[in-house]
Amino acid sequence: MATTTATVSITSNIQSSNNLSINASSTLMKTGLTTGLELMDMGHGELTEASARDALHEALGTANSSNYVYICNMATDDQQYMTIGIHETVVGYLGAGEWMFIPWNMGDADAEINIEAEASGTIPYNWAIFKSEPYTLPVSTPA
Amino acid sequence: MATTNATISISSDIMGYGVNISKSMTLKKAQSCTNLEETSGLRTKKFINTNAIAIIEADEYTAASDGTANSGHKVYIRNTSSDKANYFYIAINASAAAQTTTETIGKLYGSDWLLMPYTGGTNITVASSTTDTQYLEYIVFADGMTK
Repeated sequence: MATTTATVSITSNIQSSNNLSINASSTLMKTGLTTGLELMDMGHGELTEASARDALHEALGTANSSNYVYICNMATDDQQYMTIGIHETVVGYLGAGEWMFIPWNMGDADAEINIEAEASGTIPYNWAIFKSEPYTLPVSTPA
Repeated sequence: MATTNATISISSDIMGYGVNISKSMTLKKAQSCTNLEETSGLRTKKFINTNAIAIIEADEYTAASDGTANSGHKVYIRNTSSDKANYFYIAINASAAAQTTTETIGKLYGSDWLLMPYTGGTNITVASSTTDTQYLEYIVFADGMTK
């Protein structure tokens, strides 16, 4: 069985009298099961302001399944940020050098994750998606 | 100046060979080199039914920052149980219907966590999948608070 583990460590001194330290780890499993995920995609892309809003990935597969998404804005210019959306709702803004990790419903267009560059120049980004089965491959279009 | 750092490490052998992702970041205000300076504080919420509840209310957070058009809030949420059979729906929606809205982000099973940017413009609503007792831990690192 494949094993995928996601770990986060957060430290903060915002509360000066009570420094915060969070450490959490989870082994990512198939939907509601104790067997590990067995599908993943990962890659690197570049966004420009002119490209407008793009889907990160086709939202295929089983709705309400167990999937996880990592996105990192690899820009180094503080002005270059990415808008992250679910369907028609903006979730937040991912600044230069920032990453995010979320579960993802996937399944249909209503769950689409979309990304958009919000500054001039090119914004490089890394992404990875860890998926439950069954995953629906795109329909073949024979020549 | 306050400093909040977050590091993610993902390891996987799905491919048959090891895949490792590791990335650290310092949480900053939108389009700025200034670090985030406010927080909701770490909170824990007990759930004993499947009612949807807004755990993060948008009216507590500014939707714009220091003259920029956007905000650089970050949200961390973790299901502190270890049961992989139960979960929480996590939705970005003003109303309380996490499991039925098109703005459902996904499901956090036992031990699962998320860290994501947040606009401060819409509530974050959650709903437990079970009447079994489950706990959710969460914190907002804020780019401006209204309360």
